[in-house]
Amino acid sequence: MPLDSATTLKATERLDPIDRRLLEKAQDDFPLIVRPWKSIGNDLGITEKEVIKRLNRLSRRGLIRRIGPALDARRLGMASTLIAMKLPEKRIQHVASLIRKRGNVSHCYQREHEYNLWFTIVARDKLELEKMLKEIRRRTRVAENDTLNLPATRIFKTDVRFQLT
Amino acid sequence: MDKTDWEMLSFLQEGIPLVREPFSDLAERLGITPDEAVERLRTLQEEKVIRKFGLFVWKSRLGVAANAMVVWKVPSNRIQDVAEFLSEFREVTHCYQRRTTPKWRYNLYTMIHGREREGVTDFVKRLSDRVGVRDYAILFSVKEFVRRSTGPIGPSRFRKQ
Repeated sequence: MPLDSATTLKATERLDPIDRRLLEKAQDDFPLIVRPWKSIGNDLGITEKEVIKRLNRLSRRGLIRRIGPALDARRLGMASTLIAMKLPEKRIQHVASLIRKRGNVSHCYQREHEYNLWFTIVARDKLELEKMLKEIRRRTRVAENDTLNLPATRIFKTDVRFQLT
Repeated sequence: MDKTDWEMLSFLQEGIPLVREPFSDLAERLGITPDEAVERLRTLQEEKVIRKFGLFVWKSRLGVAANAMVVWKVPSNRIQDVAEFLSEFREVTHCYQRRTTPKWRYNLYTMIHGREREGVTDFVKRLSDRVGVRDYAILFSVKEFVRRSTGPIGPSRFRKQ
């Protein structure tokens, strides 16, 4: 890449080279087979047992969030959208907790901007999505004028991979 | 997708365990063999129902403290080119086109991550120069209230019969 960024993601100093490669492999190229750790171990030149040992250690250190699937709501036939709200700072915590309680919210972040609360909601279909939105607005008492409804029209990249080397 | 697939995805919300055969327990609960379980998962992955299967890290633990949603206003005839270019960078983990409104004209969204804000801001400036898109905004996240990797699989009322 010609544009070498200043934001190179470096792992903490305490990760040895095998840990780094292990994390990259497991993030980016996970083998969906009955004994995945064995396959990963083969790629890294270590045993299956050592892969498991290392992953347990990394997990104890709080580095691993989860190992599993990330799903595409749309392919599941569901409707989803991104909502932004403009709120007084002091209301954010409360509104966020109301939204969280509602369920079917997969992401919710406070951001530095006039529109300072952003969240994605997922519903069975468009109709239910509309209903959810109405209910959220009612419960949180946020005016339609202070909300943005921004469904995705096209997805170019959706890859949560963090390079560690 | 059949009922077994739905149940399987539902069980997998918590992730797989760190044991030699991480899908065996799941397979047993579903009444299928481990081979069938991974076969089903591979199919779902091919169908892109599973957009990614793998390990998810805690970014902040790896020194990634600056997380931004960068929104861009790109001329519609250039969206594809710009999106594809931006997507090449590893710092850009997501790239979506979204609907615009009369008062919010940004149409391209990129999630960009780095160790600290200044680096991300500089990086975005250089991206802007490279793609020739000046109209953009950087929205750093200051607090994460909810973050669920799976998203939709939860209450069974979502299952289509």
